Amino acid sequence: MITREVTVTNQAGLHTRPASMIVRTASKFQSDFYIQKDDYEINGKSIIGVMTLAAEQGSSLILVFDGTDEEAAATAICGLFEQGFGEAR
Amino acid sequence: MNVSPEHTHERKPEHVVQGIGVSPGIAIGPAFLFERDHHDIERYEINPGEVDGEINRFESAVQKSERDLNKIASIAREKLGEASAAIFEAQALMLRDHALYDSVVEKIGKEHCNAAYAVASVLNQHRQNMLASDSEYFRERANDLLDVQERIVRHLRRGKILSAVDHDSIVVAETLTAADIILFSRRNILGCALDYSGSTSHVSIMARALNVPAIVGTHGISQSVESGDQLILDGLHGRVIVNPTPETLKRYRRRLDRFQHLVSEHKQIVPLPAETRDGHRITLRANLEFAEELPLLKEYGAQGIGLFRTEILFLMQGRLAFSEEDQLKTYRRIVENVAPETTTFRVLDLGGDKMLPLGHREQNPFLGWRGIRVLLDKPEILFPQVRAILRASTFGPIRILLPMVTQIWEVERFREALDQAKAELREEGQPFDEDVPVGIMVEVPSVALMIQRFAAAADFFSLGSNDLTQYTLAVDRGNDLVAHLYDELDPSVLLLIKQTAETAERHGLPVGICGEMAGSPRAAPLLVGLGLRDLSASPVFLPEVKRVIRSMKLDDAVCLADQALAAPDARAVGQLLDEWLREHAPDLALLLSGDPGTEENKQ
Repeated sequence: MITREVTVTNQAGLHTRPASMIVRTASKFQSDFYIQKDDYEINGKSIIGVMTLAAEQGSSLILVFDGTDEEAAATAICGLFEQGFGEAR
Repeated sequence: MNVSPEHTHERKPEHVVQGIGVSPGIAIGPAFLFERDHHDIERYEINPGEVDGEINRFESAVQKSERDLNKIASIAREKLGEASAAIFEAQALMLRDHALYDSVVEKIGKEHCNAAYAVASVLNQHRQNMLASDSEYFRERANDLLDVQERIVRHLRRGKILSAVDHDSIVVAETLTAADIILFSRRNILGCALDYSGSTSHVSIMARALNVPAIVGTHGISQSVESGDQLILDGLHGRVIVNPTPETLKRYRRRLDRFQHLVSEHKQIVPLPAETRDGHRITLRANLEFAEELPLLKEYGAQGIGLFRTEILFLMQGRLAFSEEDQLKTYRRIVENVAPETTTFRVLDLGGDKMLPLGHREQNPFLGWRGIRVLLDKPEILFPQVRAILRASTFGPIRILLPMVTQIWEVERFREALDQAKAELREEGQPFDEDVPVGIMVEVPSVALMIQRFAAAADFFSLGSNDLTQYTLAVDRGNDLVAHLYDELDPSVLLLIKQTAETAERHGLPVGICGEMAGSPRAAPLLVGLGLRDLSASPVFLPEVKRVIRSMKLDDAVCLADQALAAPDARAVGQLLDEWLREHAPDLALLLSGDPGTEENKQ
C-alpha cells in the first residue's frame, strides 16, 4: 500500500472535468484507490465519490493506492495533480 | 395564462396561452407532453422471483441513458464547446459508477424494491453530501445527480423516452435542460413551449442556435395541454393557440407560408445595409453570450457585437474563479472573429435575476447588490476580467460596458481599477489598446433622467430597456401578479430613451440600445424616431428589423415617436406601431399583428 499527500492546485478545484480525469485514469489500474479528505474517505474510481469530496483549490488530500500496480497508479494520479489537470492555477 | 382548464373530451374549445417568444418561427402540430416525474417516485415491493428481471430493467435503462448522454456530449461539444460537453461526459461516467450501479443492484436484491426507488434513494444520499458543501459550485453539481436519476427513471418508466417524442410534434414541458433540447432537435421537433425559464436561459439560447421555435414563461401550459392536442406555436408573439378552430388553423397556415417566404427573403436582405429610404444608416449589432454563437453574426448580418454578456462564460466555468488566461482565450477568439467590427464586453453582471449566487440571499435583489456594485466590492473578480479584456484588445476593437451603474463615482472607481490594470500590464510588457472605451448601461431611471452628469465619465451609453422598464414602472415581470403591468412601450420609458439619446448626441457620445426591444421589428421605427441609430439584439431578429428600417423614412419615424410620446399608455403606443407597420411593411404587419383576429378583417 502506498500513501501520497497532494494539494489541489488548479483554480476551479476538483470539478467535473478533473474528477472525470482522475476516475478514468484510476480505472486503468488494477489497484484499489481511495482519496481521504478530512475524516472522509471515498473510492477514487467513483466519479460520484470524487465529486462529493467537493475539493476546492488549496484542499489537501491523502491518496491511498493498494494493489499489484500501485506504484504506476500513484505516479499517474499524482502526475495529474502536479499538472493541475492542465488547467489554470 | 391558461384560459380554459376544462377537459371536455368532445370538442375542446380554442384557447390562447401567452408566454415569451425566445426563438422566432411558427409551428403547427400535435402537442407532446414531456413530463419530469422525479417528484413521485414510490417505493413498492417486488417478489423475490422478480429481482433478476428488475435488475435487467435497470441495466437496460442505464444502457439507454449512456447512449443518450454520449450523444448529448458530442452535440454539446460541437455546439457549446468542451466545458459543457464535460458535464455530460461526467454524467455518463456516473451511470456505471459503483457508488450508483452496484448500490442500486444491491438494494434491489436485498430490499426487494423497485429499481426507480433504489436509484432515487441511492442518489439522494450522495446528493445530500454535495448539498452540504460550502461551495456553490458543488451544490450546483448535485443537480447532475438529479439529472442522471431522472434520465434513468424515465427510461425505466417508459421503456424509451425519445422515440416517444414524435417527429413533427411540439414539445410541451414544465422546463427543459439544454441537453433535452439538443436531443429533441435531432428528432426534428417543430417547437417547444415551456412553463418556466427566461429568454436568456440556456434552453432559450440553444433553441435559437438550433432554429427551434420556442416560447417560455407560459406559467402552466403543461397543465392545460394534453399530448395529442393540436397546437399552433407562434414564436413571434410568444403565444400558443391550443385546439385551434379550423378557421384559425387556416389563417396560421397562411401565416406560416408568409413567414417562410420572409425567411427566404432574409437571405437577400442580410448583405444589404440597414439604411432608411432617405439614406440614414442604422447600426445593427448582435447580443451574444457564447463564443459558439459567432457564426450567427455573418448569417444574420450583424455589425459586430453590441453586448457580449459574460455571465454565462462564468457559469459554464462553474465558479467565479475564472482565470485571466482562460478568459483571455475566450475573449481573444471572439474579438478575432468579430474584427474589424467592434466587440462590446459587458463586465460580469451578477445579482438581480442572474443565477450565479455568491452564497448570498437578499430580500430585494433587483434593488440590491448587483452589477458594478458587486464588482467594485470584489477586486478578485474584477481584475482578472479587466486584464483579460484589455489583453484581448490587441486582437481587435473592443469596448467595455458597465452594468447597473447609478453613481458617477462607480464609473470613476472602475476607471481607477482599469488604470491600475493597464499599469500592471505595461510593466509586464503585455500589449493592449490604451484607448479602450468604457461605457455604461442606462437601465435605472435616475441615470436616464440626468444622463448629462455621466457624459464626462462615460465614453458611450447603452440603454438596457428591460431593466429600465421594470425600474421605471416598478414591475417585476417575473411576478405573475403584476407582469401584465410590464410594457416597454410605456410612454414614460420612451421619454427616458429619448432624453438619453438626445443628450448623448449633444455631447457627441455614442448611444445604443441592447434590450429585447431592439430586436422587435415593431419597435424599430419608434426607436429610430426617438433618436437611436444603434440597435443591438439577438442576431436572429436582425433581418426583420433591417427590413422595417429599409422600408421607412426618418421623418416618418420621428413623427411616429412624437405621437407615441403623446399617447396615454402603452396600449395606445402598441396600436400606433401596428398601424404604422401595416402602412409601411404590410407583409411583416400581417405576421406580427398583435391580435390574430384583426388580421382576418384586414384581408
